Amino acid sequence: MEKDFIIAGFGGQGVLLAGEVLANGFMIDDKMVTWYPSYGAEMRGGTVNCSVVMADEDVSAVQKSQADYIIVLNQASFDKYTSWVRKGGTIIVNSSLANIKKVRDDINYVFVPITQMAQEKLGNIKMSNVLALGILSKVSKLITLSTLEKALKNVIHPHRMNLMPKNIEALKLGYEYDLLPILG
Amino acid sequence: MVECLTGKKILIKGNYAIANAAVLAGCQCYFGYPITPQSEIGEFMSGKMQELGRSYVSAESELAAINMTIGACATGAKAMSSSSSCAIALMQEALSYAASDELPVVLVSVMRGGPGLGNIYSSQGDYFQTTKGGGNGDYKLIALAPSTVQECVDLTYKAFYLAHKYKNPTVLLADGLLGQMMAPVEFKPYPYPEIDNSEWALTGAKGRNSRIIRSYAPLADEQCVFLEKLFNKYKQIEENETEWEEIGTEDADIVLVSFGSTFRNIKTAAKICRQKGLKVGVFRPITLYPFPHKRLNELADRVKKIISVEVNMGQMINDIKLSVDGKVPVELIHKPVGAPPAPEDIAAQVEELA
Repeated sequence: MEKDFIIAGFGGQGVLLAGEVLANGFMIDDKMVTWYPSYGAEMRGGTVNCSVVMADEDVSAVQKSQADYIIVLNQASFDKYTSWVRKGGTIIVNSSLANIKKVRDDINYVFVPITQMAQEKLGNIKMSNVLALGILSKVSKLITLSTLEKALKNVIHPHRMNLMPKNIEALKLGYEYDLLPILG
Repeated sequence: MVECLTGKKILIKGNYAIANAAVLAGCQCYFGYPITPQSEIGEFMSGKMQELGRSYVSAESELAAINMTIGACATGAKAMSSSSSCAIALMQEALSYAASDELPVVLVSVMRGGPGLGNIYSSQGDYFQTTKGGGNGDYKLIALAPSTVQECVDLTYKAFYLAHKYKNPTVLLADGLLGQMMAPVEFKPYPYPEIDNSEWALTGAKGRNSRIIRSYAPLADEQCVFLEKLFNKYKQIEENETEWEEIGTEDADIVLVSFGSTFRNIKTAAKICRQKGLKVGVFRPITLYPFPHKRLNELADRVKKIISVEVNMGQMINDIKLSVDGKVPVELIHKPVGAPPAPEDIAAQVEELA
């Protein structure tokens, strides 16, 4: 089995970090994994993305033009990556910063007001990226919350361990978001 | 930043993996000047080397960085520099001197797009620069090409070992993809023996005769003797250190050849081809110099075609053609710059060429 993930959004929304947490999680689960960032003339406020490939055997290619799961945290990323979702795949859309609109009928759409939830329930929009990982855990069933918790410990700087409880809360909030009305 | 730990799997960027491996290999001095896509190497070294009481200099230019490395190596120290394409170009004169001085310079080259300033995206366009050199005269650089982040570690170790074993500048040739990607890596302790340099290192002449390291032989005969000696060393390197990897070549009609990060994609392409009934194997030179000419020549006795897959306009293909010496046709599948060709695209092109 091999699964491809892309996380995309504004620079500053923590998409690279979210990808790093996800990739660490797959490593903890003894999967083969690669993480690759968009890099170059990037800037805060511009778009940024990273791709993570998880596989049972060797990763077949690091850079691809399709993915099974794509998380988009803003409108620009939603516009760009909708066509990248593999047939039957899923796009998780931050509906706080992107319009709820379905242009394909061969993929699953998961619209969640991620930024709004992070602000209202966690008091910090910077938690959006980790909250999104909680949603991905629920939707994909490819990684558990407890693995993501361990992965967070690998990624969060030792000086910032005081942020762990809030991050775990964000994971749970994402995971527990009621997806039934969306997935039908 | 990352720790110099050993024995635990961690997810790490290729650039940090190289830098951490250099520290674990005992690198005492790092000299560098930032350039994308390898700046993380200098960033890591700027903290870690100081922490360990070793030397880190953010040089004023790439010219300065490589010449500082030469100076440190002349004292017998384990020293390295790292840079990328257009800035490695600036270092070519110094590399020729280092080869002539027989100094164990370790240089990490993380390729980006060229020629000229080019761009910052991954590329394999410096195969010629590394293996054929831009410096003057007859010289060779040992060149190691990692294909995974784990190999960035293992071959950095090896680069230090070979550089000191043969007193020859050695290049670790990575690319933007390897430098920027993350993958799980295990740092094992440096596995090679330390090389005694007490016979030649410039350590102060107190109590012994003075030594001179120079690349200047004013008499014609002297230079002839020197070059013969130098090339005897290269012969030994070719006999002892040529390294490659091959998979599925036993029954192959077609062999795909790639170096570095592109190897992953040809492995996948070969699997796709096998599913379609094409007997395809893969081959990867791990040492670009010494190049596995002999093994490719042997393979050419029983395969029908060899295809070089590269992210450039076709460079290594020339060495493959030399290897097979006209025994079989050698074709090229390539992308000029950026991501390696997708496995499906490679497989489709192989089918056309088959």
